[in-house]
Parts: sequence; C-alpha cells; structure tokens
Amino acid sequence: MTKQLGFLHNSEKCVGCQGCEMACKNEYQTDAAPRWRQVFQLREEDYSLPTRMFFSMACNHCANPECLRVCPVKAYTKREDGIVVHDHDRCIGCRLCLMACPYDRPQFNPAQKKVEKCNLCYQRIDKGEKPACVAACIPEALQLVEINEALDQRMGVLKTLPGLPSPDITQPAIRFIGPKQGKQIRRD
Amino acid sequence: MGTWEWPLIVFTVLSQISIGIIVGLLGLDCRNQLKEKLFKQGVVVSGILLMIALLASLFHLGHPEAAYRAITHLGSSWLSREILFFILTFVGWLYLLWLSFHPAGKLRSSLLITSVLGLLGIISSAMIYVLPRVPAWNNVAPVFFFILTAGLLGALALVILGGKELQPEQKKSLLNWALGCIIVSIFMFVLYASTIKVNAQGAATVQFLLSSPLFWLRAGLGWLAPLILLLIGLKSQKVFTASTLYLVFALVGVGEILGRALFYVSAVGIHISALF
Repeated sequence: MTKQLGFLHNSEKCVGCQGCEMACKNEYQTDAAPRWRQVFQLREEDYSLPTRMFFSMACNHCANPECLRVCPVKAYTKREDGIVVHDHDRCIGCRLCLMACPYDRPQFNPAQKKVEKCNLCYQRIDKGEKPACVAACIPEALQLVEINEALDQRMGVLKTLPGLPSPDITQPAIRFIGPKQGKQIRRD
Repeated sequence: MGTWEWPLIVFTVLSQISIGIIVGLLGLDCRNQLKEKLFKQGVVVSGILLMIALLASLFHLGHPEAAYRAITHLGSSWLSREILFFILTFVGWLYLLWLSFHPAGKLRSSLLITSVLGLLGIISSAMIYVLPRVPAWNNVAPVFFFILTAGLLGALALVILGGKELQPEQKKSLLNWALGCIIVSIFMFVLYASTIKVNAQGAATVQFLLSSPLFWLRAGLGWLAPLILLLIGLKSQKVFTASTLYLVFALVGVGEILGRALFYVSAVGIHISALF
C-alpha cells in the first residue's frame, strides 16, 4: 500500500443536512435499508452546549480492517491507495464482518441477503473525480484526503470524536475537525 | 445486544457433541479396548449429529448455495479454518464409519486423528468470536466454553449410547468426567463474569446475563440439577438407571443450548454512541 485515502470531516461546517447520504444513495441506487453513509448527531453528554453537532460516517477504509480479516470468502480487498473494496458478488451473507466492525459500516441488505458498504467511489477516484458524498457536501464539511502524519499534525485535526470507538482497534482512515466548544455570551 | 442465532446454536452444540463422542471413544479405547457395538453406535450417532450440524450452519448464510467459497480465506479468517477442519473431521469420520463395518484398520490412531481435527474445528469455531469489537468474547472464554460443551455432552451421550456395553468403571469414569466439566464450567463462568466487567460493554453483558431469567434457568437446569444428580449417583451406582441418565443428559442439553443462545444474545459490541 503506497498511500491511505480517507475522509476529513469538519463538524464545525456540517449542518446535518444528510446531503452526503442522499448523494451516496443516488449514485448507487441502493435500497432503503442499507445506509452506506450515515449522519450522526453528537449526544448532549458528549457535547454539552445547546447547539447540535453532527458527523458523517461511511466505511472508514481502516488501515487494519477487521472486516477484511474475518471475511471467509475474500470479499474484501485493500487497494494500493488504501480503499477497502467489498466485492458484492463474492459475498455469501455470513455477516461476520457486521460483528467485527466497531463502526457498523458494512450493512446487511435483507432483500439481497448480502452485505454491502461504501467503496469510496473508487471508480470516480480512478477518473480523477471526487466521491459522490464529498462532491455533494454543500458546506464542504466532508473532504477526501490522504491520511498521513502531516495531516495528523495539523492544528485541530482529531483522530476521533466523543462517542466513537477507540481508533486503536482498526485504525480508521477518517479524521475530524471540531466541534469547538463555543463561548456563551449573556446579555446580563 | 446480539440476536438469537438459532442455526449457529444448533451447529455449534451438535458439532461439539459429535466431536465429544469421538474424543470419548478414544478415551475409552485407550483404557480398555472398545467393544465393536459401542464403537459402531458411537460413530453412527456422532456422524448423524455432525451432518445435522453442518446442514444447520448453512441456514445462517444469506446464500447457502455459495457456502463452498467460505474455505478460501485460510490466511486470516477463522471461519474458513473452521470449515476446513470440519470437512477434514467429516473425512475422518467416514473412515471411522468404514472401520466400524470392517474392523481391521488402525482404530486408535484413526480415532486420535479425527479427535484432533475435531478439536481444532471446535477451537476455530470459538476463535471466530474472539473479536476486538466484542470485549465479552475477546478472550479465551469462548474456546473454553465450546470445549467444555463437547466434553460434557460427549461424555453423557456416550454413557447413554454405551448402555450395558460399558463396564462399570468405564461408565464411572465418563460420569466423573462429566461432573468435572460441570464444575469447571461453573468456575469458568464466575471467572469470565468477573474479568469482563472491567469495561462498559463487558459489564453490560454481565448485567444482561445476571438479570435474565433464562440465565438462571440455564444455571439451574444445566449446572445445578445435573451436578446434584451426578454427585448423588456417583456415591451409589444404583441410582443411575437409564431414565436418570436420560434426565441428566436432557437437563445438561437444555442448559447448554440456553447457554449458547445467551452467548450470542448477551454479546455487547463496541459501537458508535451518537444519535441517528
């Protein structure tokens, strides 16, 4: 593997519009139930100010993907650019990857009785285009980035957010910016 | 919380009884030469259980017709390894079946090889669940639980199958073995519950188990009642009528099935805790 592509999500910019989810569904015409990408709202216990904060998550194309390790049919492969690709045709629907992924990102399609997930729009990336979710994000909260030390050393870039599983398990290729704790100014 | 994985419950429990019987036959043969009738009965029942187990496992898959592909990732997938070992165990069983009708070959070494393959299959089954995502499973407990099921139900099944073919000391050693497995199971569970409590997901698993009436039913039927019956029976051999043995087997069987169901249902995985 020569590099690791991944996502950078900025919770300060994200308005929770779910445009990324819709763009993904539109691109792949997926069934209603599986949500390859999903927008979450941080819980009040984790972010205690009276504003809503969101983050958007699809497959994290982990450096140490548990789905790939446990899959008995080699349905998962990791490309040179770090993208973890799921081969829908090879899947036999054993759902072991669902048990193994701490982010619940492989999704079981009950109609097709197979697992499916985000393949980071590798066919678009190979043509030099952005993934559908990134291209559709109006506030530009979601970006495609190369996960490396330079990114991790940038001011404000976080490896995880409150409420997320420890990144030590699978080393997910996602980074976050914010949310910043705002300052409350009262008139009195 | 996990789900009721009935195909997996049937597959794991039945395959473990099947392999337990083969291991038990080996143990008996090492002490005194096995009687032909007992060997044949044990092998036939073990094979029937193994076949039902393998068939049941297919119902867990979304696409059972493509199950053959599940053997293609031996490098890192314990599920692939499990299937390989069970196929090899089945091949070993076929040879044992042939031997049971043509008693000329090397019986003990065939039993030994089939037992080792079967035990490797059981260990692989357990290792599937050793996942960093599920702290309650991410330890040696699944391996112990699965092997104990094989030892316990395999020994009891052999006592029932053996009937009058078994000498009193063979019967006693099998029942002692079953008693030992129950005691170790109880000890293992206490150790398991006290060690997995250290993190939130493990504590949730323990809380779920201890507040579930099914767990107490499992403990009462599968551990306590057979423990008392075996302790009483082993003191005076006369108590062990055929019906008592069937009762002990049924109690332990129900206990192990409930225990396995709870194994799947009580598993709490690490997950995103945010609003959807």
